[in-house]
Amino acid sequence: MNDNLLVGKLVRLSAVTEAWPEAIARWSRSSETFRLMDSGVSSPYSVKATKDMFDKEFQQEKPNNFLFTIHMLQDDQMIGDIGLDGIRWTHGDCFVGIGIGEKQFWGKGYGTDAMRIILRFAFYELNLHRVSLNVFDYNPRAIRSYEKAGFTHEGRVRQSLNRAGRRWDVVYMGILRAEWERMNAGQ
Amino acid sequence: MNAILLTGSRVRLACQDAQETSLAFARWQRDTQYVRLLSTDPAFPWSAEKIKSWMVEEQEKPLQDEFFFNIRTIPDDLLIGFVGLHEFSWAHGDAWVAIGIGERQYWGKGYGTEAMRLALQFAFMELNLWRVSLGVYNNNTRAIRSYQKAGFQIEGLQRSAGRRAGQVWDICFMGILRREWEKSLE
Repeated sequence: MNDNLLVGKLVRLSAVTEAWPEAIARWSRSSETFRLMDSGVSSPYSVKATKDMFDKEFQQEKPNNFLFTIHMLQDDQMIGDIGLDGIRWTHGDCFVGIGIGEKQFWGKGYGTDAMRIILRFAFYELNLHRVSLNVFDYNPRAIRSYEKAGFTHEGRVRQSLNRAGRRWDVVYMGILRAEWERMNAGQ
Repeated sequence: MNAILLTGSRVRLACQDAQETSLAFARWQRDTQYVRLLSTDPAFPWSAEKIKSWMVEEQEKPLQDEFFFNIRTIPDDLLIGFVGLHEFSWAHGDAWVAIGIGERQYWGKGYGTEAMRLALQFAFMELNLWRVSLGVYNNNTRAIRSYQKAGFQIEGLQRSAGRRAGQVWDICFMGILRREWEKSLE
């Protein structure tokens, strides 16, 4: 049995280092990547801006979020990031966000593997009750990945986004601890 | 869903105004017996000014770090003490509770016990905690009896943890589980 919570079948989750803000700045240059991850205006971040955000949001003594970078098991290359934030401890709920910044790693199960790892962390280390996420409905690859990881469709905000000349919905998904435990029974 | 939190029959838990509270804390700290029963720190009084700036700093911390209240009497609204939940271990649903009644004429009359019951109601019904912990000097029998009345059980004893006035004091660890608290309401 693999007793390291943060190691999956294809990837591992790592402590965030100075390399992360640099990678974010690099990934933000692709508007294709940016638009899949963020509903804000797609424009490249400077390394300084991402470093400042990193220091402010993630380097506090006791931040109310858990951010990791995603690394390939085979050669430790950093391919993206994943994190829990918006944790409401008294209700046991949080949001998860994930991005695979390196495009050649899309659609190959790495993100799904990272999501499975962080769900284990959320339910068996943080003892949360549920994990929530939202995703844009022009990102069917992500939606399929979240379904594979065990998320259920819970609702949608209709025509919330305006991109590429048309309106798109924001899809809300969630997974309960009991659902996750059932899914992993016997493993 | 409609439970009224923070209000009992003889006391209520109120917010901590830094100005008013620092003056009261400074007055209470002149009573070294109060400080010795309350804390393991040396009974060294702080000025109201120093307490106030510390308090303002604490209050600016993220909310999930601690929940401190002033204890005020009903109906005359006198500030007699404080109670607070801190040292949260959210993933495990545990927190520590601290309580002090600074006004001596309110000792031994059930005010602290009622304030503790309100703090436990807040801990279990609003914060949804799993357990609440506390530590108390073993020779503070009045406090231990109060905590037992509120539902705490003795869980352990740290021997010779304090030395004061030529005596050796043990620290008694107490705790209450959510299901015990729920049962005590029946």
